[in-house]
Amino acid sequence: MQGWLLGLWLAAVFVFVFSPIVFSIVFSFNSDRFPTIPLGEFTLQWYETIWADPDVWDAAGRSLFCSAVTAVIATTLGFATAYTDYRFGFRLKGAYLALALLPPTIPLIILALAMLAWFSRLGISGQLWSVIFAHSVLTSPFAMAIIRLRLEQMDPALEAAAWNLGASEWRAMGTVVLPFCRPAIIAAACLTAAVSFDEFTIAWFVSGLEKTIPVHILEIVQGNIDPQVNAIGSLVFITSMVLVAMAQIFSMLRGRM
Amino acid sequence: MTKFQKSSGLIAPSRRDLLRYGTAGALAAPFVGRAWAQTTEINMLAWYGHGEPGIVGAFEEANNVKFVPKYYAGGDNMLALIAQSPPGTYDVILSDAEFVQQLNAAGYIEPLDAADYPFDDMLYPDFAKFPGHWKDGTLYSMMVRFGHLGVSYNTTAISAEDAMSYKCFWNDGVKGKVGHFDWHLPSLGMISLYNGNGAGLWDLDDGKWDAVQETTMSLRPQVGGYFDYGGTFNSLKNGEMLAMCGIGDWITGVLEKDGATVASVIPEEGGIQWTESYCIGKGSAKADLVKTFIQYMLSPEGQVKSAQMAAYPGNCITKAGLAMLNEVDPAEAKRTHQVTGDPMNPITLIETGRIHYRDIPVQQTLEDWNDFWSEYKNA
Amino acid sequence: MVGETAHPTAMTQRLYALTFRLPLILWYGAFFVGPLLFTVAMSFFLVKNYRMVEAFETVNWARMFSRGFFWDAYWRTLGLAGMAAGLASLLAFPAAWALAFRATDTQRRWAISLLIIPFFTSYLVRVFSWYVILAEQGVVNAIIGTVGIGPITMLNTMIGTTVGYLTLVLPLVVILQTLALSSIDRDLIQAAGNLGCPPRRLLWRVILPTAKTGLIIAALIAFILCFGDFVSPYYLGGSKPPTLPILIIDTTKSGQQWPRAAVVAIVMIVTLLAIAFAAVTAAYAKRGKT
Repeated sequence: MQGWLLGLWLAAVFVFVFSPIVFSIVFSFNSDRFPTIPLGEFTLQWYETIWADPDVWDAAGRSLFCSAVTAVIATTLGFATAYTDYRFGFRLKGAYLALALLPPTIPLIILALAMLAWFSRLGISGQLWSVIFAHSVLTSPFAMAIIRLRLEQMDPALEAAAWNLGASEWRAMGTVVLPFCRPAIIAAACLTAAVSFDEFTIAWFVSGLEKTIPVHILEIVQGNIDPQVNAIGSLVFITSMVLVAMAQIFSMLRGRM
Repeated sequence: MTKFQKSSGLIAPSRRDLLRYGTAGALAAPFVGRAWAQTTEINMLAWYGHGEPGIVGAFEEANNVKFVPKYYAGGDNMLALIAQSPPGTYDVILSDAEFVQQLNAAGYIEPLDAADYPFDDMLYPDFAKFPGHWKDGTLYSMMVRFGHLGVSYNTTAISAEDAMSYKCFWNDGVKGKVGHFDWHLPSLGMISLYNGNGAGLWDLDDGKWDAVQETTMSLRPQVGGYFDYGGTFNSLKNGEMLAMCGIGDWITGVLEKDGATVASVIPEEGGIQWTESYCIGKGSAKADLVKTFIQYMLSPEGQVKSAQMAAYPGNCITKAGLAMLNEVDPAEAKRTHQVTGDPMNPITLIETGRIHYRDIPVQQTLEDWNDFWSEYKNA
Repeated sequence: MVGETAHPTAMTQRLYALTFRLPLILWYGAFFVGPLLFTVAMSFFLVKNYRMVEAFETVNWARMFSRGFFWDAYWRTLGLAGMAAGLASLLAFPAAWALAFRATDTQRRWAISLLIIPFFTSYLVRVFSWYVILAEQGVVNAIIGTVGIGPITMLNTMIGTTVGYLTLVLPLVVILQTLALSSIDRDLIQAAGNLGCPPRRLLWRVILPTAKTGLIIAALIAFILCFGDFVSPYYLGGSKPPTLPILIIDTTKSGQQWPRAAVVAIVMIVTLLAIAFAAVTAAYAKRGKT
């Protein structure tokens, strides 16, 4: 294909990918409740609505809490699993790794159904913790993948050298392995937090009355649709981008060491 | 090796601390909001909009409570949500009247004291003795508002004359533009009315049920989509759908106020009444507060709020409420025909037999109807 | 491997290993395997008066399998997800090509960073945005209206559903394809070109076989995501006709029929695993050919 044609194609893909994002930000400043073309007037009304709505703030608090705790759990699990894969060989390791990487291949709606049925059964449904448990399972494979890639770059002799110098395995873990993985661990934490912050299908099913921000958005879309959705979406976008930027910065620090 | 030990020694603690403080901050966030407002939370299960500030705001402020709403669409959906939650989760439940019996049978609601409510002020005798709300002389649910379902249409696409029969859903001009509110009960009820079942619309023997299914299927080529509450709103507003089956003024009323060219009428074949009633959730620790809230919604002030509800308007059921609505918002009273002498006055419509209360199927199970609905959607 | 001085006892070594191995097993056992197994069990339960009753009856399976609408939805969902995965792969390929072979390293890095952004904007909000863009009085129709075309009905049609699916998967497919193509040794292409290999032959004989694994995996991930998505077919497709995820939601909403929803869920998982297995086998088959 001609170069200019390829360039045009690439541009078209980018237009497709970014137009809903751009328009959603535009609509968030548009006065019409049901936006049509031509647009209405510029307004901050939707942001004011959110600002004044305690439900949004409660939901935002829950979302932050949920994504922070999810990040801690998922990253811990991810690290342990990645290190196990890196360091140990054992029977059924294949099955172990398959299990570790399975969750993202199960559709969210099915995870949601299964989790709610299970949590109801155990009597722990309708709590923020139900969302956290579910999200930690969903996101830890991503954490594992990131940390495993980092471990790949670690010279196996490094850990052995620490033992030879008299360090116990635990000490070597604390002074060699963990510091080496730190950028990946922080990147994994940010990524898992961001995924959790945005997830709505499972949260919608299991959160009960403890709505998170994406569930709040879903309820507005299902209910009295109004451009608050766009305003909340724009704010969520900024939050997520900050997390991603942090992940990016920390994983770039890798290069410096 | 030394290199990164150094870096870890110097940088790690501060960064780790930062992370720790960050996490602590996030942990505290949900509690901060509650710390400065020591309010009682009332968990509400309702159709969309009942827990919004426009309705409950004044009550919340006066009683230092905070409603935590969970919204559903359709009685089956409501029952499913209650079943999935631990007992006592919901303090107040807004139910469709025809599902109160099921709520009661499943033991999900508390009995009420009839003396607490203005039964002597009802606009229509049935409202005091609504089917299923009483059991063995005990009141279980308090009706609070109602509305009527008929033909909802875009006035530029269907003439007012045509709209007087459900037949207009089959008009060529709205091919592919007829939407359904995605719940079997109101839509199939309307088709049953169109089939001439009149007051027996819910009581269908096999032959009549087959006929209803057949008529419904014949509408399929006209159908443009199945929508939840938000989708129904949007698609009528932006002209994606030109007629909607299964709804009434509760949706078009809001759009009309927004300037859309839509309307709802009760056609010749008759219309369906939706009725909403409040119940106190079984095991609620806040039953007294909920009682006060239900009383508030039946007070003239509450009745006006319900008539003006942003999400969807509902008609007044008390005389005092109706009087106050006519006084404070005559335009809305007129728009909804809640004025004396209007031939389309909702009470008049009930009295003249044009309106049938929405009910659950008598000879089939809800499951049968739901199954058929799935089949219809997939056709 | 381990030094003499700090030789850990077998016991502590074992403990150390288990500390890292067990968390996943315990956590996933409680919150992943447990729920999935329970879903299988649940598919044999009964529902009475809107409450699930434990039982071991095959009635839910028999009922779902005997319903025409279930199979209609099954094949339709399969077809839609397959179509979306194929379409996304085709649309992404020239873009990935441009990024892999024509762009500078800096451009490519920027492009990939930009393509990651959509993952961190709410999918719901993007779909809602499309809802407005694609409407009869929306942006697209306003634009094509100026040249006298339309209006075209896009919402509540396959177009709407497809746009939604592409919104979900296109950025990811472009990224994965770009990575797959970038990993091809450029010397190889250079050499083939020098030897007089025509561009089309180069594509079919050199590039596609080499990048095959990445391309298939990208399509597979797109398929999995679309197969399980309820948002696009519901909000942009008007649920007309419904897909399996919508069927699951409908089934749980009405009458508490969780056991039947579980049947649908299990059929979906089995289907996905079969397709994933086939795709991965195909992806890694005969790799060393070039």
